[in-house]
Amino acid sequence: MSDTAGEHGPTLVIPAPGLPSLHAQADVWSQPGARRNARRVFRPRRTIPGVIVAAVLAVAGILGAIWAASAAAGHPLWNVPYSDFAGPMQTTVHWSDTNVIAISSAVAFVGFLLILIAVLPGRTRAVPVASRDTSVVIGVPRRNLGRSLGWLAEDIPGVDKAKVRAKRRFVMVRATTPLRDATGLAEQVHTVVAGRLAALDPLWPTQVKVKLRRKEG
Amino acid sequence: MSRHTAHVSRTGLVIVGLILLLGAGAVLARGLGASTSVLGSSHAAMLTPAQVQYPAKHSWVWPVTAAVCAVIALLALWWLAAQTSTKTVRSLPLEPERVHGRTVLPAAAVTGAVTDELESYPTIRTADAVLRGSALRPGLNLAVTAENRADPATVRTSIETEALPHMREALEMETIPTVLRLSFSRAFDRHLA
Repeated sequence: MSDTAGEHGPTLVIPAPGLPSLHAQADVWSQPGARRNARRVFRPRRTIPGVIVAAVLAVAGILGAIWAASAAAGHPLWNVPYSDFAGPMQTTVHWSDTNVIAISSAVAFVGFLLILIAVLPGRTRAVPVASRDTSVVIGVPRRNLGRSLGWLAEDIPGVDKAKVRAKRRFVMVRATTPLRDATGLAEQVHTVVAGRLAALDPLWPTQVKVKLRRKEG
Repeated sequence: MSRHTAHVSRTGLVIVGLILLLGAGAVLARGLGASTSVLGSSHAAMLTPAQVQYPAKHSWVWPVTAAVCAVIALLALWWLAAQTSTKTVRSLPLEPERVHGRTVLPAAAVTGAVTDELESYPTIRTADAVLRGSALRPGLNLAVTAENRADPATVRTSIETEALPHMREALEMETIPTVLRLSFSRAFDRHLA
């Protein structure tokens, strides 16, 4: 990353040197048990797609059962006219029709998506942090971590606003300052944010990237 | 919610996904004329006259269809219930032997004690606790909101070395698998409230 000049002034980008206690934490990071456990706990559960698919299936099953039962009794609740369904299916609709291929492609794609949703582990919803007790798994919700680090950065004199996004391997701090001479400010933001991260002690090495922009008020 | 629900959701999604993919894939394969010898000609109509007449000539078709649909609906409802169940523990047995009667402790008493203790710490704003899983081996889900300016290490230590051991002592359990969600809120919120 290099310094770039934006429209509103210079953007300071400093390379992330890693957390201060890198060597001390190497031991913790190399233990797979705690990380695997935390990943398992905070991995997305896929309950929302699961509930949607289950609800659709349940409704379809109930409607189908009611209709087939009424058809078995000889009085179908609603008639599917021969000319709308069975007629064309025997005569005009062929396997190689564009519609047939389009619909079956769409259904196959939905099936593929569902398998992907189920199989992909997904990004953890919380950033796992170290815990001394093996029976305790601790995580900081990703969004809250970003907000929390942003507030800390905004407390630094000279920082106007700071937005922080917590990614898998790094946190990105985008801060604005009204100062004309912001020498050392980006480093200061970096120190504060990296210090808080070190205190939280995430289970994965997490770098801090700072982008400082001058905003003329 | 527990890991169990994640397993149930993901397994069900794989099964439904596979059925859709294979079924639609077969239709697609026939439509594209992928293997005419196995699937039949791609230029044929989708239904033959014999297939259309089949339900009218065989009286078992509709009852069986109804039964299959009912089974699908029941399975889907069971899946729905399994995914949405929170498995909250409401009461804990204190006396393992039921010969002498049964003594239970409302789970709210335990979780209430934990949250009260946590909220009494100056660095913690709010705390929420739920016991989940089986009553004999419950797991604890904790959600704690701490002051943003507090040192997270202190917050964590006070939870791990005070509140949780107190709870284990009260329940006479060696360990309680705990998931702690630690959030932060701005310090002055408390004074505005």
